[in-house]
Amino acid sequence: MDELDNTMIGRGRDAIEMIVDANSFDENHIEGFEFDPEYGPGSVVGTAKIDGQTVTIIANDAQAFNDRFPVVFGGVIGLEEGYKMATAVYRTLEADKDKPLAEKRPVILIVDTPGNGPGKMEEIAGMNKSTGGYQLALAEARKTGHPIVAMVIGRAISGAFLCHGLQADHILALSKDFGTMIHVMPTTSVSRITKMDIERLEELSKSNPVFAAGVEFFYKLGGVQEIVENVEGMRDAVIRHIKEIAAMKAEGKSELLGPWGRGILGSKRGGRTNRMDTIAKMNEEFDVVADKYINA
Amino acid sequence: MKSWAGLENSSFFDASARERALGMVDKGTFTELLNPLDRYCSPHLPVLGTAVEFDDGIVTGVGLLGKHPVFVVSMEGKFIGGAIGEVNGAKMVSTIRLALKAAKSIKEKHPNDYDDRRPLVAISFETGGVRLHEANAGLLAHAEVMDAFQDCRGTVPIVAVVGSKVGCFGGMGFVAAATDVIVMNEEGRIGLTGPEVIEQEMGKEEFDASDKALVYRTTGAKHKYIIQDCNYLVEDRVGDFHNVLAEVADMPMAEIEKMRRIGSLKLVQEQQELVKLVGDMQPKDSMDIWKHFGNKKPEALPEMSTAEFLKVVKRRKRP
Repeated sequence: MDELDNTMIGRGRDAIEMIVDANSFDENHIEGFEFDPEYGPGSVVGTAKIDGQTVTIIANDAQAFNDRFPVVFGGVIGLEEGYKMATAVYRTLEADKDKPLAEKRPVILIVDTPGNGPGKMEEIAGMNKSTGGYQLALAEARKTGHPIVAMVIGRAISGAFLCHGLQADHILALSKDFGTMIHVMPTTSVSRITKMDIERLEELSKSNPVFAAGVEFFYKLGGVQEIVENVEGMRDAVIRHIKEIAAMKAEGKSELLGPWGRGILGSKRGGRTNRMDTIAKMNEEFDVVADKYINA
Repeated sequence: MKSWAGLENSSFFDASARERALGMVDKGTFTELLNPLDRYCSPHLPVLGTAVEFDDGIVTGVGLLGKHPVFVVSMEGKFIGGAIGEVNGAKMVSTIRLALKAAKSIKEKHPNDYDDRRPLVAISFETGGVRLHEANAGLLAHAEVMDAFQDCRGTVPIVAVVGSKVGCFGGMGFVAAATDVIVMNEEGRIGLTGPEVIEQEMGKEEFDASDKALVYRTTGAKHKYIIQDCNYLVEDRVGDFHNVLAEVADMPMAEIEKMRRIGSLKLVQEQQELVKLVGDMQPKDSMDIWKHFGNKKPEALPEMSTAEFLKVVKRRKRP
């Protein structure tokens, strides 16, 4: 099968059906709340069952266009999309606010986005608040106990990946055989902006995980927890990680999840070599002077 | 280096990251953590033939405002545009987490006057976001900062200080938006997508990146102040930033919370109103929005001094 046949790029809605229990996805509903179906069409939100358990789904729709904000197409997260996704998270928090930790419903992020809305109107209204607002909502839900799994099925690019993915507990990604892309910028653009030699950059991009584009490099950095080798494996992998995350939260091991947990994993896998040492040295130096500031 | 008093009276815009760090806190109280002598620099830059800085372009440390420990991050735009990589990203995250750790110790040791000693995080942003030379590590560091911010919610206030040449763009544009309080001088700019990229996406007729006045109107401090993203617009003097930080350090947490723009369902709903306005109006220029909020002569605002502007400006009404 060649790449064009098996890629999941642009197929966020298909991915939802592949991952959730058959016919269980109820779009635009989270508990009692109903979303306006016209609003933020580049993102898809709703409720589904996975292995019988109620979950919130947040995905990109790369086939949709937003008439009010023309930069939104091909999976771009625009102003409306970011706030719609944030609202889905807050409605999830609200739905389970009185439930014990073990009953906080999981949130599944299905990731295929090339970027945040890059336009004049976006900057005038403040696109930074839309993407930032969604991230804070996810961080709050994660810390409140909702297991959050991100499944990268296509493109997870730079700020859009920060927005939709990097606040999850665990991040899974389809292998590069499916055309999956995780990076900040293609090597050609890096060369243009930094004025560094393209051949040298391409050589480095084969081996240097902090610089190179690709799923396997993010795996080495701890940015991807697990690479899923085939499309059929996505559902089982998501179910397995929901259980694993819920168990870790029940045991009070939240520090091993989310962005901070990925930092620890990146050290273990040898991808992030200097982060832990830098943090340890900062702590050590503060301890020497702490008294002066704490008892000022 | 200038004396502290000299620093307080000098331009914030012209100040280096280290001068800003010293000047934002009380005289003689700043201790730099991981100073250049420690030589924690990027191991990734030499591989690409790029020179390093011994502080990796970020000054981190702790000072005081009264009895409040202030955890300072100050970015140097002259070094690779203030961009974030593995080491300086770790310095930033670590500084924020130290503030939380300090808050815990103070609560234990000074339960009766915690409010007078409550820590503060002050971040002087001058950055375009992720450092492309070590992009993946820089990206992951951004997520760690957002995570640490959420941990600080309601316990340790975080103040964004934006008033340097590079502005605050890329991923750091939403990091700044996620703080509790934003303080800017007139030259400060905050955005997500830089002007060149917008021009590339939309064409020069729609957005001319070389039109400095247009760029400023779109992401500059006066616009941010009108739409209520910027909480304090101050004169370009280090001492003015210092004074606002001291004021915020003493405020009740509930008052600080009111200055936020994102971080709750209610705030998301408020921002959605602004998005609806922009979607309905399809503004060609920020001035269309300024006019909508009651500024009858929007074209006069960019030329005004900060003091004049503050006297006459009409801002978005918050619910």
